[in-house]
Amino acid sequence: MMRFPKVLIVGGLSAWLMTFPVSAAAQAPAAEYAPELVTLLKEQTGKLSGDLRHIQREIAALRADLEKPGFRDIFSGIGYIFGLFGVAAFVASRRKE
Amino acid sequence: MHISDGVLPISITVGGYVASAALASFSAARTRSVDLPKVAVVTSAFFVASLIHVPFGPTSVHLILPGLVGAMLGTSAFLSIGLGLLLQSLLFQFGGITALGANTLMMGLPALLCGWFFQTFKGNTRTCQMTIGGLSGALGTALAAVILALLLATGGEDFFGVAKIALVAHVPVILIEGALTAFTVGFLGRVKPELLQPAFVKPSGPPHA
Repeated sequence: MMRFPKVLIVGGLSAWLMTFPVSAAAQAPAAEYAPELVTLLKEQTGKLSGDLRHIQREIAALRADLEKPGFRDIFSGIGYIFGLFGVAAFVASRRKE
Repeated sequence: MHISDGVLPISITVGGYVASAALASFSAARTRSVDLPKVAVVTSAFFVASLIHVPFGPTSVHLILPGLVGAMLGTSAFLSIGLGLLLQSLLFQFGGITALGANTLMMGLPALLCGWFFQTFKGNTRTCQMTIGGLSGALGTALAAVILALLLATGGEDFFGVAKIALVAHVPVILIEGALTAFTVGFLGRVKPELLQPAFVKPSGPPHA
């Protein structure tokens, strides 16, 4: 009766510290956990990896979007063109005087 | 239709830069200061045109407009296209910065030729102007594809193979550009005919006057 909470405490501590998870798992065989816990963990891992894949796909789509020129690029280019020709017109008008 | 970095041999890259710089300075020297606003507007139209993607079957094509730029600007077209391509490669990563010289030659030479063609044959009636305008619009893109094949042939590609692929891939663009240039020339001929009088054949005044 006393062993079960101890194992839980050790497991919780090790999960919290994240430094000795392997040794804790070795000390407490998986069979001693409730089987529901194992299935729950597996479920969560599966869900997390699905979410991760989703996010990775999202990042790839975002990166592809970033490659495309946006409105800022277009308008800055038009601004550059008008600005450069404005400078040219200014220089030409100064030269004429 | 842009050449990327590292495709062309170094001699062609450098030669492209030298030839484009010479042509651009010639073009800048021939640009009269009264034309500067017009050149600026056409340059920004050229700069933006390649972003307009026209869905065509399974793929989509984008406009290039060397023919229209040539017909409207004459000699100044080369300067305009050089600046447009420089900003496109800096801001949009269209074509590599080292291949800029070759890219400018590829689009600028057809523009100059189309400008000459349009000015020489445009005639006086608007129908004639529209026909010649459409032809020069189509010719500009087709010539650009041929020059692309020529440039790539220096990098060891088979000229006729590349030319065939480039021309076939651009058939829709050629058709669309012909129609668009004909429409634009017809519209400008009706609304503001002096825009179609670039100082190309007979400069009506000294440069920078």
